[in-house]
Amino acid sequence: MPKVEHLVYGDRKVFTVSAFNRGIGMHLGRLPALWVEGEVTELRRNDAWANVFLTLKDPKTGATLNVTIGRRTFDGLALELAEGETVHVAGRAEIYEQKAELGLRATTIERLGLGGHLLALEQLKRRLAADGLFASDRKRRLPRVPRAVGILTGADAAARGDLVATIGARFPATKVVVREARVQGTGAATAIVAALAELAGHPDVDVIVLARGGGSFEDLLPFSDESVIRAVAASRIPIVSAVGHEQDTPLCDLAADARAATPTAAGALVVPHAGDLELTLLASRRRLRLAVRGQLERGRGRLTRQGERLHVAPRLLLERRRAALDRSGVRLQALSPLATLNRGYAIVRTGGEALRSATDAHAGERLHIQLAEGSLAAHVDEVHG
Amino acid sequence: MNEPRGFEEIQRELEEIIARLEHGDVPVDDAVALFRRGEQLYAECVARLQGAELQVEELLPPTTGT
Repeated sequence: MPKVEHLVYGDRKVFTVSAFNRGIGMHLGRLPALWVEGEVTELRRNDAWANVFLTLKDPKTGATLNVTIGRRTFDGLALELAEGETVHVAGRAEIYEQKAELGLRATTIERLGLGGHLLALEQLKRRLAADGLFASDRKRRLPRVPRAVGILTGADAAARGDLVATIGARFPATKVVVREARVQGTGAATAIVAALAELAGHPDVDVIVLARGGGSFEDLLPFSDESVIRAVAASRIPIVSAVGHEQDTPLCDLAADARAATPTAAGALVVPHAGDLELTLLASRRRLRLAVRGQLERGRGRLTRQGERLHVAPRLLLERRRAALDRSGVRLQALSPLATLNRGYAIVRTGGEALRSATDAHAGERLHIQLAEGSLAAHVDEVHG
Repeated sequence: MNEPRGFEEIQRELEEIIARLEHGDVPVDDAVALFRRGEQLYAECVARLQGAELQVEELLPPTTGT
């Protein structure tokens, strides 16, 4: 390994800028070759240049890395890379000595294939599931009759048209609030999150539909982006996911409160059928009328009973009094001495005093005997004590 | 009564009135008042259902200047 030249000032070793940069470059050159994953941005290629330049971006943090690859190598890969695509780049760290700029000298670039994407999705799905984002107890009930339905859609006329038509046909007494957003390619995830927040902030929106027609696996990837899934799971307003076709399962389907296979199915989920609702209302009115009739009849019954009691009350009182009087009369009779005389007894008096003992009378005395009817005057012949 | 209320909210009030009339004793004056209110809510629901035309509102993304 060549040594980096330095100058000597007394006991001080001093490097020139070039020597410093070269020295760092030599150190970097000892690092192993490795793979780096990122999104392609700022791809610059020119037939006149020996190298192709691109910037790799970390979609989560926005960190960037400059990548250089020989033009012939790049052309030989025939990748036809587009901005925003996720790639794996093999290479080594290097420094551009003139400016001390760190970069990656690539030997090859691979587009992240379906397998890679699936693996990454599977890992993300497992992580979010562990965070509880897909738990069924997190799911909110959809409103039965929303004041307004929020629709998040791309410039996808078919999905939007189907959804609006279904809602209009089933339940025209509502409103749809449509927010178009970029739903594929670079920046789609950010745009979807922003549009969701806007719809959720609308004062009338009670439910939101993510309406995205079919598309390639890559086209639907933003609906599996972590930021989108977290926004869907955290939404205050219930969300129906109608993304892609039936066989597609973007991760937002798992975080949403309901999933619809098509925009038409989503429409049937978010609004009731007006005809059914009218029948329900008619039934309600029938119950209302029956119920009030029941209450009024109950009230009338109460009144009738009260009236009857009002009429009956004085007569009852009188009868009760009479019975009491009769009972008193009977008792009075029982106590009267006349009643005893009636049974054959007599009261014997002498000098006005009732006689209780034979010895109280004397022979020859005059007695007065009172019977039930009439009285007798008598003389005592003998006294037996 | 004048605030714009959702269909679901009106329907819920109607159901509550019916439930009150169906269960328990309600004084006659109250029963009549509740019934009138119920009929009014029913009419309001029906009026909203009939002759309604779907409103479509477009939310425009905020202009970012790019």
